[in-house]
Amino acid sequence: MTIANVKTWPKMTGRDEFRFLADLVLKRSSADQTVVNLLDQHSGTTRFASSRIIQNVDTRRGTLTVTVAFGGHRGSASTTDFSAGSVQDALARAERIARVSPEDPEYLPPPDPQVFPTLQTSRPETAAAGPARRLEYANEAIGQCRIENLEAAGIVSSSVASVGVAASNGLFAQEERTEARFSLTVQAEDATGWSAAAHRSIDHLKIQDRTLTAINKAKRSRDVQELAPGRYRVILEPAAVAGLWSWMLWTLDAKSYEKGTSPFADQLGRQILDERLTLQNVPGHPDLLGTGFTHEGLPSEDALWIEKGVLKQLAYDRFTAKQQRIKRIATLEAPCLSASGPTAFKTQELIKQCERAILVTNFWYIRTVNPTDLTLTGMTRDGTFLVEDGQITSAVRNFRFHESPLRVFKHMDACTEPAEAVTSETGKMLVPAVILRDFHFSSVTRF
Amino acid sequence: MTLADRDEMAELALKRVRESGAEYGDIRLMHSTSQTINGEDRRIASVRDVADSGFGVRVLYHGGWGFAASSILSIEEVPRVADLAIEIAKGSASLASERARLVDEPIHRDRVVTASRIDPFTVPLDQKTMLLQEVMEYVQRQPEVVRSHASLWARGDKKLFVSTEGTRLEFDLLAVQGEFTATARHDGRFASRTFTTPHLRTGYELIDSANFMAEAPRIASQAVEKVKAAAVRPGTYDLVLDPEHLSLTMHESCGHPSELDRALGYEANYAGTSFLTPEKRGSFLYGSSHVNLVADNTEADTLAATGYDDDGVACQKWDIVREGVFVGYCTNREVASKIGETRSKGSNRADSWGSVPIVRIANIGLEPGQASLGDLFADVKRGVYIEGHGSYSIDQRRYNFQFGGDAFWLIENGKRTQMLRDVIYHGITPEFWKSCDGVADRRYRRRYGFITCGKGQPGQSGWMTHAASHARFRRVAVIKG
Repeated sequence: MTIANVKTWPKMTGRDEFRFLADLVLKRSSADQTVVNLLDQHSGTTRFASSRIIQNVDTRRGTLTVTVAFGGHRGSASTTDFSAGSVQDALARAERIARVSPEDPEYLPPPDPQVFPTLQTSRPETAAAGPARRLEYANEAIGQCRIENLEAAGIVSSSVASVGVAASNGLFAQEERTEARFSLTVQAEDATGWSAAAHRSIDHLKIQDRTLTAINKAKRSRDVQELAPGRYRVILEPAAVAGLWSWMLWTLDAKSYEKGTSPFADQLGRQILDERLTLQNVPGHPDLLGTGFTHEGLPSEDALWIEKGVLKQLAYDRFTAKQQRIKRIATLEAPCLSASGPTAFKTQELIKQCERAILVTNFWYIRTVNPTDLTLTGMTRDGTFLVEDGQITSAVRNFRFHESPLRVFKHMDACTEPAEAVTSETGKMLVPAVILRDFHFSSVTRF
Repeated sequence: MTLADRDEMAELALKRVRESGAEYGDIRLMHSTSQTINGEDRRIASVRDVADSGFGVRVLYHGGWGFAASSILSIEEVPRVADLAIEIAKGSASLASERARLVDEPIHRDRVVTASRIDPFTVPLDQKTMLLQEVMEYVQRQPEVVRSHASLWARGDKKLFVSTEGTRLEFDLLAVQGEFTATARHDGRFASRTFTTPHLRTGYELIDSANFMAEAPRIASQAVEKVKAAAVRPGTYDLVLDPEHLSLTMHESCGHPSELDRALGYEANYAGTSFLTPEKRGSFLYGSSHVNLVADNTEADTLAATGYDDDGVACQKWDIVREGVFVGYCTNREVASKIGETRSKGSNRADSWGSVPIVRIANIGLEPGQASLGDLFADVKRGVYIEGHGSYSIDQRRYNFQFGGDAFWLIENGKRTQMLRDVIYHGITPEFWKSCDGVADRRYRRRYGFITCGKGQPGQSGWMTHAASHARFRRVAVIKG
């Protein structure tokens, strides 16, 4: 069964309804500029642990946010109640705030009306997927683990959201976005293996393949040895690469760059990473979670951020962009990291190339240690292995790393083609698995 | 919407739950308001006023859970949401290899209101923005301070909880917090220093008494001193940790491992499990005899002291670690029975009407000892004194941790001397707490809270307060961050 019970299924705010709600605000606003943002989301998650359902939830939350400005005096108020009275109350609250707020020297009116790309951000099979479909997938993963006498913990989730932005200058955008997620941790006594997926289409979660991946990792993690902390050659699987790269992307903001509080200070236009690496935004890629427009109402577009290791782009807010005479603000919601030159097809080929290395499935609890050089720390998790003479010879106890991605990605020994990667701490990316040298593991834990 | 309207909605939902044959159901109807003012580099960057209303229905049917929620707070929406929760619970029950069951709790009918002198939502906005602008202006007047941030936050929650067992609880809660940061730049480096009030369930009097402008000179000058300070030399040091810093250390290395749902594997796929497994309760040496970690959800003003949790269980006080031995967990009505307990500790909380309650860390605090702060310093030949929060990370079973801080001073021969930068310490949780050989007395006790404790899938933000006096730890590994 893939279609939810129609009696219990909510009707989402469509394009016409959003225009009606926006007009309700825009026609009554006394402000110089007014912007209305919509996020109406219906999402559900089936969660399992110890091979049984522990949580099964469904939430519909609609939020309308009104932002107004009198000159540079700005205020913002939101409501989850879409009745006419509450929407007008949100406008009144925003106006009250704006009238007493100090002038913001960085305030800019909303962007002019734009032409937005039409992307396939919504898939009907995901929008229609309900608790029964999620339960079916959870049962599939649990069942496969039971056959192997292993325990399964994970989630299957699906959501549909209506997202919109409308402004008093005629700017208007609305689109529906769907997203489905699956993640699984397989426990084999003290050992664990993990796999995860996220996609616009629930049909693309590849439950069986990902479950087998997690099972294999858990089984291989049973025989574990402890290695001393130190500098190791590493093979990072795509999820581990995504973990490190997410922190690089989050620190690319132009304002910090201009004020000298960025790890990328003075590096724009310079070689900062391995010359084979290129980072692009590809919102139309079918395996990424691209969107047609940003929260502010700017179009999402293809953009080159790092080209052959050279930093080409920063994440501009509109004020800094105006100061720096940047005409088009690049977005980075659908990142794809790729490498030029010869690449391997799969991680297995990288393993075959290594005489001795540590294979890392995923990192966990990554945090900044030193923002000046972007030194990060975090733990390996759910599948860390010793590779010797081209094959995995044992699992190893998890390491803590203490390392800057800006240092270790200056030289890459080898990599694969970009692959889908998503973790519980990162958005979705396409990134390769890579071999890096001298990766610093600073301590080891008890498992 | 009146309270009578809410009661009517609750009755309608629970009637459908009862008629479905479910063994338990509850409904939470909430209206939350929050105001967040953010300042950046002398300017007020945003003022956001959020009104968030909705209701969630939770159903336990033949041992299977279902939950559905909606932001449409109307009587017409109730049947759809209640029926969906029942439908989902039936689906869960169809796959249940083990039935969830709830331990007993007396029926409660009560109203809980945060005691406050000044309602933060009635304080004029211009008074708040002026305070933030003044403090940012002050810190940025100091040479080498290049950036500033400042913020004020307040939230009010009006909630009605009703269960099929007959419990009916009304809540009218407040929480408030404020902070500011100065960032200095020197020789290609930058460093920040932050002053923060705790998050507490109180009124705007918390902000008034914090006196930002009196703290601003110290924060600005310490930001500059910190960025110019010598980097720590890696090695083994004795550490003296201040209460604000300890709040995070306790949260990560004691709070999370004491959540019973984690110990039972419920969080294995995300937040992780716990090295404090059930067979260790009552015998495992977690720390030294100086270490007494107490969960107290009854202490006034603290974040988890809400009278009752989202299971409708009365808030309580209990031991987690007594004289170094691990003795207790944070539990809810479902997991308590799995370790043979007959009553929940009342630590089941959801972050909104749209989230299902999960086990949360209680207000876990370190009990005061006998020493003065001077006593703790006096016996240290080579150590580091740490204030505030910095970098933090811990493995998914809560063994291997690494913490930074907001400010660091060298301790030499019993005296706090010059500032240091880039201090990071790491260790293994029980070894670290076993190295604790002194805790300052009650005069030094301070409380700090968290409202962004991440857990659960979908993710939720937990709220709790951690109190401590300064404490000393011997021979801890320190590296340069």
